[in-house]
Amino acid sequence: MKRYVFRRLLVAIPSLLIASLIVFSLPRLLPGDVVQLMLEEKAYGKDLDDLRAKLGLNRPIYVQYFEWLGQVVRGELGESLWTRRPVLEELTRRLPVSLELGVLALFFSLIIAIPIGILAAVRQDTLADYITRSMAILGLSVPGFWIATLAILLPAIWWGWSPPIQFTALSVSPRAHVAQFLLPAFILGIASAAAIMRLTRGTLLEVLRQDYVRTAWAKGLRERMVVLKHSLKNALIPVITVLGIQVAQILGGTVIFESIFGLPGMGRFLFDAINQRDYPVIQGVNLLIVTVVVVMNLVVDAFYAFLDPRIRY
Amino acid sequence: MDQTATSLTRRDVLKLGGAALAATTLGIGPLAPQPAAAQTPKRGGTFRLRSHVAPVHFDPHQTIAFSTMIPLSLAYSRLVKVKAGSAVVPGTQPIEGDLAESWERHGDNVYVFKLKKGVRWHNRAPVNGRELTAEDVRYSYDRFLTIKGNPNKTILGMVDKVEAPDKYTVKFTLSEPNAWFIDRLASTSTWVVAKECVDQHGDLKKPESVVGTGPWMFKGYEPNVRMSFVRNPNYFVPGLPYADGVEIILSQDPAAGFAAFLAGEFDFGPEYGMVIRRSDLDIAQSRVKGLGMRDYIVVFGGITAMKIDQEPFKDVRVRRAFAMSQNWQEALETNAWSQGKGAPNPLIPAALKEWSIPIGQLPQEGRRLYEFDPAGARKLLAEAGQAGVKVPIETTPGYGPDWMDAVQVALRNWKQAGIEGDLKLKEYGAFVSTALFGKFDKMILTLRGATTDPDTYFIPFLPGEPLNASGVNDPKLTEMIKIQRRTFDDKKRREIVYDIQRYASQQVYYGYGPSVSAVGAWMPYVRNFGPNIGHDYGGRLMVAWLDK
Repeated sequence: MKRYVFRRLLVAIPSLLIASLIVFSLPRLLPGDVVQLMLEEKAYGKDLDDLRAKLGLNRPIYVQYFEWLGQVVRGELGESLWTRRPVLEELTRRLPVSLELGVLALFFSLIIAIPIGILAAVRQDTLADYITRSMAILGLSVPGFWIATLAILLPAIWWGWSPPIQFTALSVSPRAHVAQFLLPAFILGIASAAAIMRLTRGTLLEVLRQDYVRTAWAKGLRERMVVLKHSLKNALIPVITVLGIQVAQILGGTVIFESIFGLPGMGRFLFDAINQRDYPVIQGVNLLIVTVVVVMNLVVDAFYAFLDPRIRY
Repeated sequence: MDQTATSLTRRDVLKLGGAALAATTLGIGPLAPQPAAAQTPKRGGTFRLRSHVAPVHFDPHQTIAFSTMIPLSLAYSRLVKVKAGSAVVPGTQPIEGDLAESWERHGDNVYVFKLKKGVRWHNRAPVNGRELTAEDVRYSYDRFLTIKGNPNKTILGMVDKVEAPDKYTVKFTLSEPNAWFIDRLASTSTWVVAKECVDQHGDLKKPESVVGTGPWMFKGYEPNVRMSFVRNPNYFVPGLPYADGVEIILSQDPAAGFAAFLAGEFDFGPEYGMVIRRSDLDIAQSRVKGLGMRDYIVVFGGITAMKIDQEPFKDVRVRRAFAMSQNWQEALETNAWSQGKGAPNPLIPAALKEWSIPIGQLPQEGRRLYEFDPAGARKLLAEAGQAGVKVPIETTPGYGPDWMDAVQVALRNWKQAGIEGDLKLKEYGAFVSTALFGKFDKMILTLRGATTDPDTYFIPFLPGEPLNASGVNDPKLTEMIKIQRRTFDDKKRREIVYDIQRYASQQVYYGYGPSVSAVGAWMPYVRNFGPNIGHDYGGRLMVAWLDK
């Protein structure tokens, strides 16, 4: 297992290097010039050249890339072209917000999806199954931002109440801090829950038809034991795989939800940076996302062994 | 007149694209202001505002972003400013001294300002509350004019030198006469900054470098969350400001902003300019009893630039056909901000009511541009040999969905005149860094309204200017623009400005869309507040108070 993790870590290095190249190049391929954006429409030729030189953007792109890569290796991500604030400092402040939102969304997603998925599988083709499946389709079809907008607007129109849109730090009020994440995390988790619920149902149905499960029934084990102990662990392996992908999707979803609910996370930071062509910020955030996804996949792989002792590396 | 150098992002512009009905902006309509004269001001409380955009940074000499200038208007001062209060009619910009006690013009090119005595900087490091002197003013304007990459530089481009002959006197020498000079000094980008802050921080981009002489002092900035200001106890206008603090909440989502406004979390309309969408008005009025409201025409509106040195736009008949086949009323009716209320724009936006020529005073060819006549347009095109002309039209969806709705209306209108528009959408960043500088094929649809100084709307007509997107080179027009700059008598200058607009309406170097009528809104307990165009939130809030 240790050797496997070590090998995977080694493989991750070229992956991250390739990703760094992509992350560095793609923002520069976007049409639009950060210098002209900074000076907006009042810029004049000499000013543009001066600012471009000041920001170091007049050098060959490979020089800029290797300089940035050198910074990354030293644990730095450069400075924002607009604010001159260190990207790493900004990320350190924003990453916990996005992680909190993402983890809570994942939590809601799982506590909704797994029990309902089990129920739908165990009560296949009953009213409960039909209802839960319909709800899952609804959850997949309705965009999260639409639900979020309604969840904010309707209570304000009906009762003059709206969820908090001012971010409260944990140190200021732990209760208010957690409370502000509940609604966005719940809505963000819905779409993910719908996908996981359908997968849980499908894989559990498959497992429930396996011979060893029939043997468990024949032994006279109780339903709870058969389903939860003997079937669910095996049924969850593909679900865990999908969960790894869901993490990336949830991270993507935070961009919109952070904007709607006023959470100063990484998604919003990235969104603004793309609009402003703030290359160091785009690079830093994307590199972090790539790293998170790589690590998550590693964790997922390692988790297989826990769920199924037959899996060995 | 205030000249606001800072601009809304292009995305914001259309969101505000409208103009108030003349009656209501004059204070005789249904959304007229509350009288404040008989009320006794109350001290205390904190104003809570929403901004949907975080400041790019805090250096006023390095950006034109409104998101920077609005918070700075709370903390900084300038030599002269636009009067504020519920009695000021939106769209008018009467000027009064800010740091300047008085000023005089000597000849055509020299202005001498006498500063108020005893003005103190905020009691914050590194300036620590020392007295402001003429040298501070000289330093600020010198930095404004000489710092690399100041996009606002053209505002004071006519300044040759700034001197501080004594502790309380500042002398400006202009390189050429410019009757708009005082208006331009009232711009919300010409803040007087402290040299010590620049020396300590290298520039003024960091929030801790915001140390001014304004009514509130910067307290803190949580990126993408909020900006807080506290009352300056040593503000040089005795008794002001009334509120103990101002909090600007950064909330990006418009629905969340409106919901929070309904829930009483903001004291003012949640959109830029402290307005609410007209489509939200009924809900807001039913939820907030006694909501303060006032209509006003915003400066922003659509503009069409054409390559006038190329076919088909070489021919003025084609340009006229394009303009007269646009239905400005339909554009307003389909806009959630205006719901039909607004005004057509000549060259100077209608919002600048002291300088914008009434459409009825244009020559016949000019008036016809606003009469939506697709049949007449077809006829003109046929005469020019361009019947059924097909034109690539570039724009950006980055201005938001309201803008794209307006673009669709424009395309439909043109189709009625037999003009086939081939829409090419460009990403926002790419669009503002190319098309606005004239790098486009035949035609662009974009927005204008970043400034509140009428003279800046002439810049796209001057040869050699980067923003001359249509490529205008008309010696007669250039001369008229120069003459009005040299004419100090307001009445005479207005006549020339009107003449320029008349002439421009005949040449149609650009086409102009209408401006929406926005609804400035504030909670019933906010007193003596009057919305106006421009970014000077600080000036408007300074004279207002909370009556809770």
